[in-house]
Amino acid sequence: MILQTALLIGMVLFSVLAIALKDLLKSAIALAVSSLLLGIIFFRMNAPYAGVFEISVVAGLITVLFVLTIALTKSGDEVRESRLVNWAFPAVFIVFLVIDALVMKSLLGQVPALASGAETGAFGDVLWKGRTLDLVGQIAVILAGVFAVLALFRKRDKHD
Amino acid sequence: MIILFVVLPLIVAGVLPLVGKVSRRVLPDLLANTTLLFLLVYAAVAGRALIAGGPILQQMPWLGETVNIRLALDGFSLFMLMAVSLVGLAASLFAIDYMEHYGAKANFYALYLVMIAGMNGLVLASDLFGVYIFLEVAAVASYALVAFGLGHDELEAAFKYLMLSVAASAFIVAAIAIIFGMTGSLDFAAVAAALKELNAGPVLGIATAFFLLGFGLKAALVPFHAWLPDAHPSAPAPISAVLSGLLIKVSGVYAMTRIFLNVFGLTPALSTVLLWLGAVSMVVAALLALGQKDMKRMLAYSSISQVGYVVLGIGIGTPLGIAGGLFHLFNHALAKGLLFLTSGSVQQATGTRDMDEMGGLAKRMPVTAATNLIGALSIAGVPPLNGFWSKLLIIVALVQAGHPVFAVIAVLVSVLTLWYYLLMQRKAFFGQLNEKWAAVKEAPFWMTASTVLLALLCLGVGILFASTVSTWIQPAADVLADGIHAVTGSWGF
Amino acid sequence: MTNTWYLYLFFAAALVGAGLLGLLGKRNLIKLFIAIEVIGKGISLLLLATGFAKASILTAQALVITYIVIEVSLVATALALIINIYRHTKSLDIRGLTRLKG
Repeated sequence: MILQTALLIGMVLFSVLAIALKDLLKSAIALAVSSLLLGIIFFRMNAPYAGVFEISVVAGLITVLFVLTIALTKSGDEVRESRLVNWAFPAVFIVFLVIDALVMKSLLGQVPALASGAETGAFGDVLWKGRTLDLVGQIAVILAGVFAVLALFRKRDKHD
Repeated sequence: MIILFVVLPLIVAGVLPLVGKVSRRVLPDLLANTTLLFLLVYAAVAGRALIAGGPILQQMPWLGETVNIRLALDGFSLFMLMAVSLVGLAASLFAIDYMEHYGAKANFYALYLVMIAGMNGLVLASDLFGVYIFLEVAAVASYALVAFGLGHDELEAAFKYLMLSVAASAFIVAAIAIIFGMTGSLDFAAVAAALKELNAGPVLGIATAFFLLGFGLKAALVPFHAWLPDAHPSAPAPISAVLSGLLIKVSGVYAMTRIFLNVFGLTPALSTVLLWLGAVSMVVAALLALGQKDMKRMLAYSSISQVGYVVLGIGIGTPLGIAGGLFHLFNHALAKGLLFLTSGSVQQATGTRDMDEMGGLAKRMPVTAATNLIGALSIAGVPPLNGFWSKLLIIVALVQAGHPVFAVIAVLVSVLTLWYYLLMQRKAFFGQLNEKWAAVKEAPFWMTASTVLLALLCLGVGILFASTVSTWIQPAADVLADGIHAVTGSWGF
Repeated sequence: MTNTWYLYLFFAAALVGAGLLGLLGKRNLIKLFIAIEVIGKGISLLLLATGFAKASILTAQALVITYIVIEVSLVATALALIINIYRHTKSLDIRGLTRLKG
């Protein structure tokens, strides 16, 4: 549990760094590290499939996409973030954490839950047979993404 | 085979880019439109027979193994399928001519069909996460469709729309996680039964609030409406028609209504919240619509206002109120779809959306002017068009349920709506013909044909409102008025 | 719900909160999208922790995997939009996107 909590703290830390850091490339790498830690957290929750997905897709594929975009949008003038936000963001976040902790403490045991039966079957069955419509949805959303990228990067001949 | 509603558009969409390489115009047009026509006919003809004996649930075998594709078709879903098919087909026909100068028609139709598949899937889903997935399918397709023209305004509108929409989706999934945590399941029937057992009070309230935040933004209810007046005008006209006419209703109103009425159960507190949200949207958006010069922007604000009417009607909770709300949803889909399509015709002919620059277009574009007039009068609620009857139902239901103040507000907003629509008619179509437009011609065949189709439907539904209500609206309203029993009784898988 | 669920909920809420704060304050378009990614992390943690607490870890994994696939499509679309915006305005500043009034 201690290790898990440490991993969680590390993940949140790197996520905050990803938002707060000035250099975009460093932000992307911080995001990747955060995803890596989240993947490990998933593994330790007995969720190896989710862990693998998180690491290979979010820490891998999405980071590559981000780095690609950063490379394609490098310009002479960087975007200057507001100075106010630069110190306000950590400050407000810490306040948020305090409120978060207080709320969670007060919620302890307040959320009613039905006792749940044991889960049957292997993961493959649960995904392929139990949630098949989700798979159709996944195919659909991938199609949507592919066509979106094709549409947004098409050659524009005469439109403005 | 109700899975066809989801799978057929997807398959055709997958094939379209290959087809598009072979034939840039004819084949994509043909394929896309016949697919949509087929779905419309299937829903209209087979739909009522299918649900005559109660809701049908499809559990399908796949390659010999039984898999769990659980789709549920009841009165409410069928009603939404009809609306999606009708307006979807009309906008798609319109796009045959309109999207010519955007290029990449096969790509456009592929995205369009994926969006329709997403909306159909949302309507047919029988568990909470299924609703979410197909909501995102339609949403991702819509971001690209809003930005399709690749101009600065379109990209800006699409980006802001995407940002807000993704934040809203996060709240929706958070609510789903909370429900999953409390009940241990995602299926509508199981969740409804479990929630009744649990008596979850405040935590259910938090989940409801998250759902309201998320679906409220998708439905563009005030105060979550800020993305719509930018996104809908910037999109190409057929997409504006589908976004305003269908998407905000399917991913916003349908999802919210299905979950609040059939899974959670409509408590008096929730009813009051919905009434107020609806009323505020109605009033604020109507006032904002008054000052608009951009034709499509005015229509966008009007959409927010009319969705307020729908939520107001459903929020009443009585069978009459729900029927009125659903009927208005249908009518608005037809009429607002029609209005955005005609605005597209006008924009293509004159190159502008600024109503102050237009004038007297009725002389050069008589069919467009006539259909636009029908659409405008329908939304404003002028008899005997369809909008009149749905607004009347809502107002009567308000009075009957003991909300006379809301009824008066609804009537006043109706008058306001009529006012700004007449303004639009006068500025754009009637009055003196601006010399700039002396050479303007009527819109091409498919563009006028699709608007005429929708206009005839508005007229027809208005004249035959009694039979329309009893055939299509009443079954849907009954499902919702039944509350939790509609799903726990016969949806158990 | 077990006490560990509340611990995970705390961290998930922290992530979502950080992301929302980032959305409110940052100006760089790519930064804004990184904030959205952080929100996505929080939500997937919440989903999985809920499944873990309910002994439904397999279902929760299926949900999280689907959620990640959706996220990939979203990232691809959003980054495509950002690259196009950059080509138009030569800048990644959200303040350059104020032509529409909302």
